[in-house]
Amino acid sequence: MSLFGIVIRQLVGNQAMATSKKVITRADWEKKLNDVKVKKEDMNKLVMNFLVTEGFVEAAEKFRFESGTEPDIDLATITDRMEVKKAVQSGNVEDAIEKVNDLNPEILDTNPQLFFHLQQQRLIELIRNGKVEEALEFAQEELAPRGEENQGFLEELERTVALLAFEDVTNCPVGELLDISQRLKTASEVNAAILTSQSHEKDPKLPSLLKMLIWVQNQLDEKATYPRITDFSTAALEDPAT
Amino acid sequence: MSETSSQSQSPPEDSIGRYFLDIWSQNSKTLSLRASSGTESAFEEEREESPTALDTVKSSGGFSVVGADKLSLTYPNDQLHGHDVGVVQANCPAPSKRLVYYFEISVKHAGVKGQIAIGFTTSAFRLRRQPGWEANSCGYHGDDGRLDRGHGKGDVCGPPYTAGDTVGGGINYATEEFFFTKNGVVIGSVYKDVKGPVYPTVAVHSQNEEVSVNFGQDPFVFDLKAYEAEQRTKQQIKIENTSIPQDASYGIVRSYLQHYGYEETLKLFDIDGRNTMPPISVIPENGDSEEDSISMYALKQRNTVRRLIKSGNIDETFSTLQKWYPQIVQDHTSAICFMLHCQKFIELIRGGKLEEAIVYGRGEFDKFKDLSGFDDLVKDCAALLAYEDPSRSSVGYLLSESQRELVADAVNAMILSTNPKMTDVTSCKQSRLERLIRQVTACFLEKRSLNGDQGEAFQLSQILNSATK
Repeated sequence: MSLFGIVIRQLVGNQAMATSKKVITRADWEKKLNDVKVKKEDMNKLVMNFLVTEGFVEAAEKFRFESGTEPDIDLATITDRMEVKKAVQSGNVEDAIEKVNDLNPEILDTNPQLFFHLQQQRLIELIRNGKVEEALEFAQEELAPRGEENQGFLEELERTVALLAFEDVTNCPVGELLDISQRLKTASEVNAAILTSQSHEKDPKLPSLLKMLIWVQNQLDEKATYPRITDFSTAALEDPAT
Repeated sequence: MSETSSQSQSPPEDSIGRYFLDIWSQNSKTLSLRASSGTESAFEEEREESPTALDTVKSSGGFSVVGADKLSLTYPNDQLHGHDVGVVQANCPAPSKRLVYYFEISVKHAGVKGQIAIGFTTSAFRLRRQPGWEANSCGYHGDDGRLDRGHGKGDVCGPPYTAGDTVGGGINYATEEFFFTKNGVVIGSVYKDVKGPVYPTVAVHSQNEEVSVNFGQDPFVFDLKAYEAEQRTKQQIKIENTSIPQDASYGIVRSYLQHYGYEETLKLFDIDGRNTMPPISVIPENGDSEEDSISMYALKQRNTVRRLIKSGNIDETFSTLQKWYPQIVQDHTSAICFMLHCQKFIELIRGGKLEEAIVYGRGEFDKFKDLSGFDDLVKDCAALLAYEDPSRSSVGYLLSESQRELVADAVNAMILSTNPKMTDVTSCKQSRLERLIRQVTACFLEKRSLNGDQGEAFQLSQILNSATK
């Protein structure tokens, strides 16, 4: 076949693919769904993984009993992890640091960024509580030396100390540091580090599965029309647009 | 509907019972063994054939000699015309229902000109031409390092290779590319526009050239596992960037606990969830929305019955159902009654009461004669009597916790269907989570089948066992 012939054939082929999507009726699609084999055991594992990773320790314990599913981590370690997380969330950073070190001193030793963020959070809490002198002292003695090692840390430190310069901190340019979301951010960073140190994934698998569903449906949309699921709160099949 | 066969007349409740009976049949090892040859499994790709040797039937005349091991190739010693290429394909096409296919060759002798090539060709390929010189083929050439794919010369250029080198050819089905390696390092890739099956192909082109082929019978020089992991991560990053509604996962977990009547877990999940920062939007303060009332239907009752079955107390399960939901056990010949009687029989054997089990079985099983699939399942149950240690036999699954769980799930679905507000039978049988998993799986399979059967299927078990961060 000549090169010209090949090019023509490919053009025609592309055209056909662009215009004609496969149409899959609801009845046909339901048949395909029925052919899928899903093990109850696997679903239980998925739910257990979510409870454990998100730190629902009591629910995980009950779920183990009610469903007979073994957790993929020692449940006792969840309690410790959640205590650290809650300490940061409620502003007791010193307490949190102590608890992390009790759990495993390597976590902070091997993770300077996390340690810096915890110290930064501690500084934020001091400023929030109006302990100006204590805050300055802490910034100079504990945080400044770290800033010298790392340009990013230094910038963060300067941003945080700037909180002291404003009368009305809630409306100043760096006011977001005092927001609850900053605590949550730090807390979830510690949470992830502890999970990693326990050789556990830091995120549950279920959200990834939902992302996969949206992703693969978008991909399949290019080639076919079929009943989709877009509303997770009902998981109902929607009739394909024709 | 004008059809009046007894099948279509059966009430929806019976379709639920039969649905769980089918799941039981699938779980049965003895039954699935018998069925595996006939029915098509959703995960056929595990059994896809892979090349193991060079093909000796379709050889290229006298211009190549395949060794007795069918894993080595030489160009004949005789003085032959310079345009005659010796090309050999593998004994079957590269499997495609996976992420990556890969094979390697080691150059033993570069011969006179070192014009060795590794690549992929279709079954229609003329075995007297270098792979990559013709349309629908591609090849990585030893003498000049070019990666050709039948579109004129030198699309991409890699390093040349010669005696002592090991080079590999692979197909990345996720990116739809051919890629090539030299001594364990990827040297380049080209777009794979060839449709349909392709064969791993090796070519020799000058006197005394000699190569050996590794279809995976020996360890590869290239770290294929690491490459696969890297490709998976790349795909994962794309998927992770998809956004989902906040707290969607919490809602799905919660509905799962409601669906199966894991009442205690649900209670603690809600308490914990209310104390979480930031608060989880899908957990209602006092749980009384319309949506919630359907999911919470008979939660306490369902939980009670589940616990009875899970503790092996079938007599009390029957009497409780009789009291609360007589319609479920009304028809003595229904699938759900059959499952409960079987479970009772199993529990007697678990308790070592073999004689009682026999008497019970003789008394109860007879009336289910007309239930399809009943025969095989009764045989499975009866087989428990034959073994001294039945838990380690082929029907040992009957004594596992998951069998109890299955019966409990079946009864749970039956109770859900008694809700007058429940209109959809599927949502009695399957939780929201299960419907989502089915949808993901079906979408991946459909996407692959519309893409020439290329790529991996979605398997929940693989995701559960993967430990990527």
